Amino acid sequence: MRRKFADLNLKPSVRDFGSAEALFEKACELGYSLVAASFPPDVNRERVAEFKRLCSGLGMDFAARVDLAPNSRRDLLRQLGRLRRRFEIVGVVCVSKAVARQAAKDRRVDLLVFPEFDPRKRFFDPQEAELASNALASLEVCMSSLLLAEGARRARLLSFLRREVAVASKFCVPVVVSSGASEPWLLRKPRELAVLATLFDMDFSEALNAVSAVPLAIVRRNREKLSSRFVAPGIRLVRRGKDC
Amino acid sequence: MKIRRNPRYLALKIESDKTFERKIFLNNVWRSLTKLYGEYGASKAGMALVEYEPEKGFAVLRCENEALTMVRAALATLTSIGEKRVAVHVLAISGTLRALRKKLSRGAEGLSESGGF
Repeated sequence: MRRKFADLNLKPSVRDFGSAEALFEKACELGYSLVAASFPPDVNRERVAEFKRLCSGLGMDFAARVDLAPNSRRDLLRQLGRLRRRFEIVGVVCVSKAVARQAAKDRRVDLLVFPEFDPRKRFFDPQEAELASNALASLEVCMSSLLLAEGARRARLLSFLRREVAVASKFCVPVVVSSGASEPWLLRKPRELAVLATLFDMDFSEALNAVSAVPLAIVRRNREKLSSRFVAPGIRLVRRGKDC
Repeated sequence: MKIRRNPRYLALKIESDKTFERKIFLNNVWRSLTKLYGEYGASKAGMALVEYEPEKGFAVLRCENEALTMVRAALATLTSIGEKRVAVHVLAISGTLRALRKKLSRGAEGLSESGGF
């Protein structure tokens, strides 16, 4: 069976429908069967539906994503309570240790995102990984920053990623590799993303899973949770009626 | 040191608004490779441009099998040539030119994954 690939971090312009269309068309051409676009929290639902229709027309599955960048733990909890059921994927940009720790242990968070180049803001250490492994959060690696960086900056980023991926692997935290592309020229084929992941010592087959099985599983799990039939993990409503 | 060569041929799709001369394109691939792996790493690649059709945005690159991952990573990190944005995608990989052409004619000409490489 052919492997299906997913890119969970496209950043199309919400206002410019034409450029978003070009981005989705390119993703489809490159072989992705599922893409997720990151929206601002206050996005119009009609716009999300338009993107969904556009991708469906291209033969691709679409998931809506929101990236939360809370200032504090309390702010994160408030935003999660307000937005979790509106989006299929929730990513948290961890700008402080308190936010990172809360995001890692909260089962409503899907992806942990760390600001790329500031070593003081990369909180994915063994403690963070242990919390994430007991919850459902995955570590997201965004390749656009790797493509755009050069020289010492890229070397430093690779060094951070190498350490973080090793920590994730030790604590069985899934890793998701995504493009983070806002324009078509930043998109790469799924296998190219997997090859790039080998730069920070990810095994190629593991890297392939990070662009296919892992993101697909996240979307599947969340769709099940968001469906009206979901009761609790492992329990779902099969039938309604008087005889039940 | 291995005496026998084990080449891989990569069919490439070059996407850019502009076309580039053969030498400029190859130099930029080399530059990308040396940036990532240094001169020592790049020396193991045995890279050569076998075919280049700038109008079609098509090229065939040869490299050593052992350096295949390195070359693919270098191609993926190539984002600009001069001032122009560029993206290079691998269409197919094979051990001989004949097999590569066969793969391409079988329908890997588009950009989507045809599996196996």
